[in-house]
Amino acid sequence: MALSLYFDRSSWLHRRHPIAKVLVLVLLFFAAFLLADPLPLACLFVLVFAVTASARALPVLHRMRWLMIPVFFFTVIIWTLFYPATAGAPVDRWAALRYGLAMALRLETFLATGFVFLATTTIEEFAFALARLGVPYRAGFVLTLAFRLVPVFFEAALTVRDAQRCRGLDFASGSVATRIARYGPVIVPVFIGGLRRADQMAFALEVRGFSAGRPRTSLPRPGIDAGDLWLLATGVAIAVATLVVP
Amino acid sequence: MHELILMWRNTRMVVLTAMCASFYAAVLIPFLVVPIIPGVTHFRPANALPVVCSFLFGPAAVWGAAIGNLIGDFFTGLGPGDLFGFIGNFLYALAPYRLWRACASSDPVPRTPTAWLLFVVVVVTGAGLCAATVGFGLQVLGFVPFAVLANVVIVNNSVTALVLAPLLLAVLYPRVRRVRLLHGDIMGPHPAPSTVRLVLGVGLAIAGALVAFVGGNCAAVGVLPPSFVAATPDLTLAVIVLPGLALAAAGLALL
Repeated sequence: MALSLYFDRSSWLHRRHPIAKVLVLVLLFFAAFLLADPLPLACLFVLVFAVTASARALPVLHRMRWLMIPVFFFTVIIWTLFYPATAGAPVDRWAALRYGLAMALRLETFLATGFVFLATTTIEEFAFALARLGVPYRAGFVLTLAFRLVPVFFEAALTVRDAQRCRGLDFASGSVATRIARYGPVIVPVFIGGLRRADQMAFALEVRGFSAGRPRTSLPRPGIDAGDLWLLATGVAIAVATLVVP
Repeated sequence: MHELILMWRNTRMVVLTAMCASFYAAVLIPFLVVPIIPGVTHFRPANALPVVCSFLFGPAAVWGAAIGNLIGDFFTGLGPGDLFGFIGNFLYALAPYRLWRACASSDPVPRTPTAWLLFVVVVVTGAGLCAATVGFGLQVLGFVPFAVLANVVIVNNSVTALVLAPLLLAVLYPRVRRVRLLHGDIMGPHPAPSTVRLVLGVGLAIAGALVAFVGGNCAAVGVLPPSFVAATPDLTLAVIVLPGLALAAAGLALL
């Protein structure tokens, strides 16, 4: 599995300011949440799909089809069965199916919106936007550092697994529980190695003035431009439109 | 709760938060392909890690579990439900070390029947809080009914944590203590609260978790007395689950 959903392209959406993208993401979530009828939800999903195509990010939806297709059918079935009917009244099966369809389209819209955001926004841009929107710098720093450490842990785990295999540990045979239990001798060295790395990293950050308490400097980034304002205006218009849709 | 804010001033705790988050995410990600409820939850043996890290690193693990779950969600799509996943995992890692610290002075490696009983109580309380938070949030958003998701989450979290966490703690706790990286070593010893405060805190945390999870299930399947039933099913659920979660959070804050 690839360790990022980001697609390094140069589309109009990739070039948008990360704050504008985060705000439009929230507005689209809000719009999808307010809609309760399958037809407007389907329209919103088609719109998100069109945006994904125009940003040349359709491969992300293709890559995640293993998730999106079962989610749709599962959600339709489960919400048709759990349709919140009035107590004591007979369940209208057609209304239940329509409700299930609406819930599935809402969930698909949430997923597709999240995917197009992740396909066009790097983790550093996301952390930058969060910091500009008021999230403390250190929280954003932890998010980006943790994201960067995930492949490091994977790599360490593979190295330890190979070393244990050389010593005769068999990861391939036995029941699922047995095979999971055999990963104990992999997890422990990776964890202890991670601790050692964390300790060294804390020292490195300290000597670079991480806790100096002085105002922090950063590389200047381009501000919000007309294209970002248009994107924001469109997001607001969609959110407002959902308020008037019956 | 003060230490949850104070830890952000300590560089070592900040780095440990990132380490807990990335380690949690690194074990979550390979199992994303084994769904229990497609798009919502999957088989998560990684759920033992917030409990293990909670006992080792305390507040760093609390933030680490929340951020690690968010990073895991980056691989299955970002959505409004992730906010509830963030809060749920935050509570899941908050309950174990707080309740253990309040009830026992020994190492959190269960060896005696009493220690095992306490271990089960603290893990299931954390799992119940996580299940109620995530179940409530995803029902309100229209993803999955509370009665389905909350029960899947509590079983998934409790079983993996009760099976794997004691094994990992038995190996890791002495080693981490030896290198003086336990949260008490980094942030200093926690001042002991009064007995009244301890009893009240533990009582509120466990009662709140029970109200949120059991009451939420009762509300979701419609077996509540008519006086508790509100205008809509989601409102009924909110009336039961949110006060339960608030009670539990208040109880944990006292410890």
